[in-house]
Amino acid sequence: MNISVNRRSALVAGGMLGIALCLPAMAQDMKAPTGPVEITVGSGAGGSPDVIMRTIAKIMNEEKIVENPIVVQNRTGGGHSNAYNYVLGKPGDENLLLTLASPVFTTPIVQGTPSVIDQATPIAGFVQSELILLTPKNSPYQTLADFIKAAKEQPGRIRIAGGASGGNDHLVTALLEQKAGIKLTYIPHESGGAARATFLGGNVEGHFGTVAEAMAVIESGEARGLAILSENRRAEDIAKDVPTAKEQGVDVVYTQFWGVAGPPKMDPALAAWWADKFKKASETAAWKDSLAKNMQLGNFYGLEEAGAYFKKEQDTFRELLTTVGLAKK
Amino acid sequence: MDSLNLLLEGFATCFTPGNLAFILLGVLIGQIVGALPGVGPAAGMALLLPLTFGIEPVTAVMMLAGIMYGGQYGGTLTSVLINVPGEASGVMTAVDGHQMARAGRGGAALSIAAIGSFLAGIGACLAVAFVTPLLSSFALRFNAPEYFLLGVLGLIAAASLGSSPVRALIAAVLGLMIALVGTDPVTGAPRLTFDQAALFEGIDFIPVAIGVFGIAEVLSSLERSEDVQPIRTRLRDMWLTAEEWSQSRFAILRGGIIGLFVGLMPGAGASVASMLSYLNERKFSRHPERFGHGAIDGVAAAEAANNSASHGAIIPMLALGIPGSASTAVLLAALILHGIQPGPSLMTQESALVWGLIASMFVGNILLLVINLPLAPMFAALLRVPYVYLAPGILALSLVGAYSATLDMGTVWKSLFFGVFGWLMIKFDIPRPPLVLALVLAQLVETSLRQSLLLSFGSLGIFIERPISIVLLILVATMIALPVWNAIRSRRSPSRAPAAE
Repeated sequence: MNISVNRRSALVAGGMLGIALCLPAMAQDMKAPTGPVEITVGSGAGGSPDVIMRTIAKIMNEEKIVENPIVVQNRTGGGHSNAYNYVLGKPGDENLLLTLASPVFTTPIVQGTPSVIDQATPIAGFVQSELILLTPKNSPYQTLADFIKAAKEQPGRIRIAGGASGGNDHLVTALLEQKAGIKLTYIPHESGGAARATFLGGNVEGHFGTVAEAMAVIESGEARGLAILSENRRAEDIAKDVPTAKEQGVDVVYTQFWGVAGPPKMDPALAAWWADKFKKASETAAWKDSLAKNMQLGNFYGLEEAGAYFKKEQDTFRELLTTVGLAKK
Repeated sequence: MDSLNLLLEGFATCFTPGNLAFILLGVLIGQIVGALPGVGPAAGMALLLPLTFGIEPVTAVMMLAGIMYGGQYGGTLTSVLINVPGEASGVMTAVDGHQMARAGRGGAALSIAAIGSFLAGIGACLAVAFVTPLLSSFALRFNAPEYFLLGVLGLIAAASLGSSPVRALIAAVLGLMIALVGTDPVTGAPRLTFDQAALFEGIDFIPVAIGVFGIAEVLSSLERSEDVQPIRTRLRDMWLTAEEWSQSRFAILRGGIIGLFVGLMPGAGASVASMLSYLNERKFSRHPERFGHGAIDGVAAAEAANNSASHGAIIPMLALGIPGSASTAVLLAALILHGIQPGPSLMTQESALVWGLIASMFVGNILLLVINLPLAPMFAALLRVPYVYLAPGILALSLVGAYSATLDMGTVWKSLFFGVFGWLMIKFDIPRPPLVLALVLAQLVETSLRQSLLLSFGSLGIFIERPISIVLLILVATMIALPVWNAIRSRRSPSRAPAAE
């Protein structure tokens, strides 16, 4: 009995020594929050940012990576501005995180208000989604080249159904126009689902979907994938036949991304703690499984690296929004 | 009969004590969140989503779907009793339902709403079970041009409410004007926002409805507290009569069918469904003059339509992976969170889950009928309490509802503003439902018109090139021409009875 207790305490001591040895290797001190934590999401329940945050929050709590209960709170409205203004209005708050999705970057540019990411505390970018350009099954376009040729022959006659004006679908359309030197007609919809209905009803020539959305309609035979707007093709058997735009000679790379930030003036030790937790959660089997099921990418950017990554994306958004005439001077 | 076997298997999945308990829990929560103004079924489902993580996916979707259609039953309560529709789909119910409650027939209004919702719900469940693939391909033939014409039909319905067409038109135009504030749906540029961040998103239905119905009602009662009499009907006189039932049964049938078709289109929803079926009922009624003054068939049609629409919205979700409404979007999210990828192959790959869900909707509707029918007279008896005691409760419910819709005080201020606005409308005898309905429809009408013209590169020909669009165009033309024609005819032959319009 005594021996076993001693052995256990020896193990514990050894473990603690191990942790102590690790500490100097870490860049920053870490501080855990106390009490429940709210992750504010600017989209409604069921939107991509909401689903992503609920998934990772569930993993953090279930796998005891974070012991504090995490509540995902939807503060909808104003193109995510209700959500980010709420978080920006609580500098130094230790129990609050903001979900970063493209509207958090684009809404201030469109409305001419100060950038969110320049004020908030970047913590992590941990999930991205590539986009696939689709065309209906009975369309004459077999390749991206066919599609672009048609758009060159009859400028503005090729129609793209997508989500809200100024959203990802709109901006990627603008990027494609820019890089391929073509003019398309963009038809905005109140939601991605409504745009997909327009596309599946055979009313337009093109539509962008995330890999998971696109593969669902490609597999059912409703649509053809013309190009994936990524550096590399997907590795999955079902998706590997969709060529990249780059290999077809059109240099369009555009990835949707999501991340998390703290309020302004967040304690750096707390930000470091969260970055560490998001990193740990993103390495779990459950998260990798979710990435595989939703065909997303799991590139991880933490703290300063995340800040630089978000700022670069913000510059891209500003440039594209200026191109489509939505950036407020 | 393959579907029948799968459905029977679905029932087998349903009839475990655990699943039955969760269906019951779902419909009860739906009933409650539906009755609270501001908290709709979609918000209620989102709130409970994290609680479903520990349970089986099929049980989770059964419960969440229960909240979705349970909300349509619950929404009737506040519409009928206190004239505060919690959701856009409840506005048409309030029009006649509240008049009935004022006259002591609130019990009958709630009963017919429950029966109508039940019958239409079961009908819609049968459609979901047996003709989903067919209906989903039909839904895809509807797009911007058809949505535009449906929206115009709804606007005609809205503008024909109330005693005087001119007053109803004024209200509808005010509603359209309110709807223009916000972000231009096509260019994405802000308009009429006066650089106020609070107006960028536009003015939502919830603060307007809570204001012009709930708060305005309370304000106006302050002026005439002595003449608002509590009803004196005895409890046993509140049941539905045989005559009321025979007036309503075909309204339920027609409302249910219209609701199903409108509900399954991803662009329209339960609110458009209830408006169109109300309009349809009134146009073909032998007593159109009673509509707006407590016509029970109006309540029956609107309630049947909004419930079957909320079931119909499941069809594109199951068959195509496209959510037909805000609630089905949450249902889709629940599937993703449980590791199930929605899409066109859902029904084959997750057949046990899909059929369990469909079977659970039959069970849930039966539970809701059993809950609502005996309680209808009890709830209606609430109006025997003098209004002075009810008013503070209505005010509190309205303001809490406004806050909980967005967790933002801005919505509360907007509700108060529209409360005063609604009070002025009562003063000037301008009907309030057309304002709210036009506000809801404006977005559909504007967006779909501009989408249509983008699709056709600016040509109006798109409205006559598509078969369904032509049919709807003829309907719109008839709806506008009929009252004009009647007016001319009655002027030519003054001996004949004047037409209803």
